[in-house]
Amino acid sequence: MSDPQKNGPKNLFEIGGRLAIICTVAAIVLALVNAVTAPIIVRNRERELAEALSRIAEHRRVGEAIPIDDHRAVRAIFPVFENDELYGYVVRVIGVGYGGDMAVLVGARLDGYVFAATLMENLETPGLGKKAEAPGYMDKFVGTGADRPVPTRKDQLDASDADAVSGATMTFVGVARAIETASDFVRKME
Amino acid sequence: MSTMTTLTRGVYRENPIFVIMLGLCPALAVSTQVVNALGMGAGVIFVLVCSNAFVSLLKDFIPEKVRIPAYIVIIASFVTVVDLSMQAFAPALSRNLGVFVQLIVVNCVILGRAEAFAAKNTVGSSVLDGIGMGLGFTLALVVIALIREVLGNGTITVFPVGGFDGTFVIPGLSEQPVRIMSLAAGALLVMGYLKGLLNVIEDVRARARSAATRSATRDGGRA
Repeated sequence: MSDPQKNGPKNLFEIGGRLAIICTVAAIVLALVNAVTAPIIVRNRERELAEALSRIAEHRRVGEAIPIDDHRAVRAIFPVFENDELYGYVVRVIGVGYGGDMAVLVGARLDGYVFAATLMENLETPGLGKKAEAPGYMDKFVGTGADRPVPTRKDQLDASDADAVSGATMTFVGVARAIETASDFVRKME
Repeated sequence: MSTMTTLTRGVYRENPIFVIMLGLCPALAVSTQVVNALGMGAGVIFVLVCSNAFVSLLKDFIPEKVRIPAYIVIIASFVTVVDLSMQAFAPALSRNLGVFVQLIVVNCVILGRAEAFAAKNTVGSSVLDGIGMGLGFTLALVVIALIREVLGNGTITVFPVGGFDGTFVIPGLSEQPVRIMSLAAGALLVMGYLKGLLNVIEDVRARARSAATRSATRDGGRA
């Protein structure tokens, strides 16, 4: 068994130098791994976004992204066309969940009526907040935003929906507020 | 210590979760689904084996005074490799595990084995220790996740293959699950009961051993 304390360097510069060598080698290795994986990760994200947009818009055509720089939560909007007429927008909005920021894509008609939504990048807890990614989670918000307000509290949900969000209330509130913000944003554009 | 003992003691006798009780935070957090436990376990085995190997390889090069920062750099590098690889090649698993992949850096099992074993032993033994401890961590996680997912959700989620979506649904339990099992309290309950069960088993074995020793002594005395 070796004893690094007995045989190791005493000079502060040598100690720092050895640590710097380890850090440099680690940085080079990570740069190489990043060079290989970064293009694949970007392609994965673009594919996920395209799939999510087509799921939300269904048979309708989705236009190019319009970046939004001057809003606290809305990051971009994608116009949605039905028979070449503007039907509404898919809004990329940032909500705050249990694990921090989470991106939500919300499809809203020009009057603010929410026709679809999906949770994108998030750091919610697996098995709890992550359930918001499951198909069907967003059904409770569909049809709200125009005549009916978007439910942002558990007491505004029916019993089965309230049961489904139990254990992940902060995720529900974060998603609900993001959807409400997106719906308001589109309605005010009209 | 024999090669076999180095490899197997992490699985049961010194299981990191049930015996050494390290790395409980990520273990309890991701044990909501079996697939998450398998993914997290694979990540931990990779990081544990690689970091143990490199800490052992560099043990004479790493100065004593900065050994912890050096270990953290090594561990964080391998965790970043796992994280980037998962994002690139297993995006669904990466999304499921979320921040817990990055949190492998601060998993006490990995730093603990680097400090307690790899820094004092050969590369070969350190790799075997990493495999054993990693398997023990994964096994514990899968057992906890299996109990929690079956009782708390009525499903067993593994990896999707072809047309199979990866989820076995258990009739009856899936309609009326014991919801608390998927919540944080359920993780602590399952962990506590399993630890209690292992304590009982160990107690019984210890009594059997001491009875055998007493009997052997008595027989020896008579002879």
